[in-house]
Amino acid sequence: MNISIKCAFLFVVAQLAATNSWAQLKAIQSEQLLPKDAVTVFSINNISLLQKISMDDLVNYEFMSEVHQELFDGSTSGKTLKDAGLDFNQRLNLFYGKTFTHELTGFTFGVSDKVALFEVFDDFQVLQSPIPGLEIYGTFFNNLLIKDNKAILIRIEPTMDHIDEVTDSIWYARGNEMPFEFFDETPQEDQILNEQTFEDNSNNNVFPEATENPAIKNYYELRDSVQVVLQQKELTRVINEIFLNGINLHDHDPRFAAQLTHNAEGAFYLDNARNLDKSQGLWYFQTVLPTLYKDLQELYAGNVILGDLFLRDNQVDFEVEALYGPALGSIYSQMNDAKFDKNVLKYIPASSPAYFTYNINLQQAYEQAYKVMLPLLSDEKNAQIAMNVLTLELLNEFIDKDALFDTYKGSMFGTFNGVKKIKTKKIVFTYDEETFAYQEQETEADADMPVFTLGFSTARADIPEMVLKHMGRLSSRVQRFENYWRIDNAILDAAPLYILNTGKLLIFTNDEDLARHHTAGYGAEALGKKQRKTASKSGFMYGSVDITETLDRFPTEVLTPRNAEIISSLKGKSGRLELTSSETTEAHTTFKLSYSYTGAESTGKHLLDLVNSLYLIYTLNP
Amino acid sequence: MKYLLLFFLFGLVASCIEISDDLTLNNDGSGTLRYKINLSASKVKVNSILALDSLDGKPVPSKTQISAKINEFVRLLDAQVGISNVLIEENYTDYIFKFSCDFTSVRNLQDGIKLSLAQISNDKYNTSAEQFWLSWDGNTLVRTIPAYVTQQIKNYKLENEESLKEGIYTSIARFERPVATFENKLGTLSKNQMAVMVRTNTFDLKSNQHLLDNTIVLTPR
Repeated sequence: MNISIKCAFLFVVAQLAATNSWAQLKAIQSEQLLPKDAVTVFSINNISLLQKISMDDLVNYEFMSEVHQELFDGSTSGKTLKDAGLDFNQRLNLFYGKTFTHELTGFTFGVSDKVALFEVFDDFQVLQSPIPGLEIYGTFFNNLLIKDNKAILIRIEPTMDHIDEVTDSIWYARGNEMPFEFFDETPQEDQILNEQTFEDNSNNNVFPEATENPAIKNYYELRDSVQVVLQQKELTRVINEIFLNGINLHDHDPRFAAQLTHNAEGAFYLDNARNLDKSQGLWYFQTVLPTLYKDLQELYAGNVILGDLFLRDNQVDFEVEALYGPALGSIYSQMNDAKFDKNVLKYIPASSPAYFTYNINLQQAYEQAYKVMLPLLSDEKNAQIAMNVLTLELLNEFIDKDALFDTYKGSMFGTFNGVKKIKTKKIVFTYDEETFAYQEQETEADADMPVFTLGFSTARADIPEMVLKHMGRLSSRVQRFENYWRIDNAILDAAPLYILNTGKLLIFTNDEDLARHHTAGYGAEALGKKQRKTASKSGFMYGSVDITETLDRFPTEVLTPRNAEIISSLKGKSGRLELTSSETTEAHTTFKLSYSYTGAESTGKHLLDLVNSLYLIYTLNP
Repeated sequence: MKYLLLFFLFGLVASCIEISDDLTLNNDGSGTLRYKINLSASKVKVNSILALDSLDGKPVPSKTQISAKINEFVRLLDAQVGISNVLIEENYTDYIFKFSCDFTSVRNLQDGIKLSLAQISNDKYNTSAEQFWLSWDGNTLVRTIPAYVTQQIKNYKLENEESLKEGIYTSIARFERPVATFENKLGTLSKNQMAVMVRTNTFDLKSNQHLLDNTIVLTPR
């Protein structure tokens, strides 16, 4: 059996199962095995979930065949997830973590029947356990640790940098020379053309040859050994931490523990502060600008994203709360302290299948970020940073910020209005009857074009007008009409772009109907009262997608056949996606993504049908 | 794509493509091949594809890359034995590409294209390029559509057959003396009797890759 991280993902999908009524279990169990270094966790509350989705239904889905193939090899054929010995009274927790030297992935779960479990995990070997009561099993990549009725399946991998660092250190300490031929000619990226086939050329083999003495390892053998030792050492550390010292994420981070008390089917946890801390991409800051890096850490302190997944009647809700510390929170709260611009609602037609509004105060955000960030940057004793700070301060003094932020205030809206036919030109080849002499003729053609509108709030309509006037002088493609500007062939070299400058909004659209007939808005055809109220009350952003309408109107002609097939397969599903947000405070912002649908089928079955449709498309057209 | 990056676009928009292969054959077996690909009816789709970095996990070539590859092919073909005056016109506004070359014999033409394709694609074992698609004995021309073109059409997946029917493939053969007979029932003879044209849509060509095959017999000299 090959348990991989892919399997872990499938395993999570597989947890969407079973009809039986399960006793409520108050005690928290499997989550107490989560390593404290886990920065991302998705936790499934089986007790709640299993009441809503039938395992009997689940095991009959086509995508489950892959889950079973991953979990059960030939020796256990005919078995399903129900036979895996899992304790569905405990949570299933999928995690990913990163330290400066290692990556950890895996999941924790409850065990109800160890005999059944090992019929599934049948290639795990028993390993010696240093801790009484703890059973340790392993394969080449994974380890399974079981204590009482809780288990953790974990894969620990040292980072490449760490392995290289330790290997190099040992290699050179032994008096060896550089193991690589650094100056071998290797093809440059721009010399490699897509359709060229790479051929193995034994003459270019840069791997070191085996040493004369078989007892002495070459560089790569040493590297392999280092990797195994580092892996084992880290595993020992994690085992001691969890099973000896009782340190785990649940007990270590009260925010995570609190999240698990919610009566939700799933919980999500992402510690962004620790993500930043362990980010390899920030090595420059860490090494060259340590003071600034420390300041950045402080800025991101407390930045955690917590989420709940609820399966409700005909609705799936994903509720997310972004928490942050005072410094970052002050910037966000200033940014989101914007009065909703009701003008935008006039330009969203009620028939629009997908639209969003985004409402921020860019000037306040800039002022606050300037106030928070500039002292951090000014403290840094680095010539480049000092020059940047000077430039920033000069710009801050010289630029008319009111004019800038009145022109682009930060608030915007966007709509997808379906597909319209546009007129384009095409060339056709014609041949005369006498000699079949060839000629080209330009004729009109129709093309389907998705219709999009994007609008920005502005208090300085004169500035974009000035820019457009000058553009009109420079190019005949930019033309002024009574109520709008038109730029010919601006979209995909085929369709015109219309710009409406209403005085309060600057609107870009490829919808001729909007430009010609609705420059003052859609009037009675605009969003209804209820939708307008929802959008205007929804914090700094709101989004709505009518999936049925959007998919029906989406032009599959502009997609590849495979993607068009996926869209077609989803067309039978009704549903609406709605994204709302709360007002932002200095401590947090909350978002809610809801997927609702009509129909009599259960929420779980509706979701599984969607998953299965996508699975079938991908497997039938690999 | 194995041959030219242009076929990348070709493969994606085969439903709205117009292809014309136009062969002029002199009595001595020399001649001119003109090959035209017209994607102007699909330019919205082509532009939208070219705006992407990748599609289905494969990188989308830029116009510069496409042009470089086409010109590399032209340079390679121009250097082949018996091939001269290789010209290419690239129109990236309407996406029309016109290629022409002179040849001393149909054998030289086919060998030249085969070798150039093999060099440009690094595919020395390509079987479709191995096939001969023209033969000429001084009186009779036997021609098919090159396998590297029909293969592209054959590979094209489309759930909407109607749109594939909008694509057109035109095959013309011109001669220095009148045509006596030709076999293909889709063929038409020019009024001056010196040229034969066969046309079909890409849907029918996908179903039957030999639809445009023709054997043309000329009047004796």
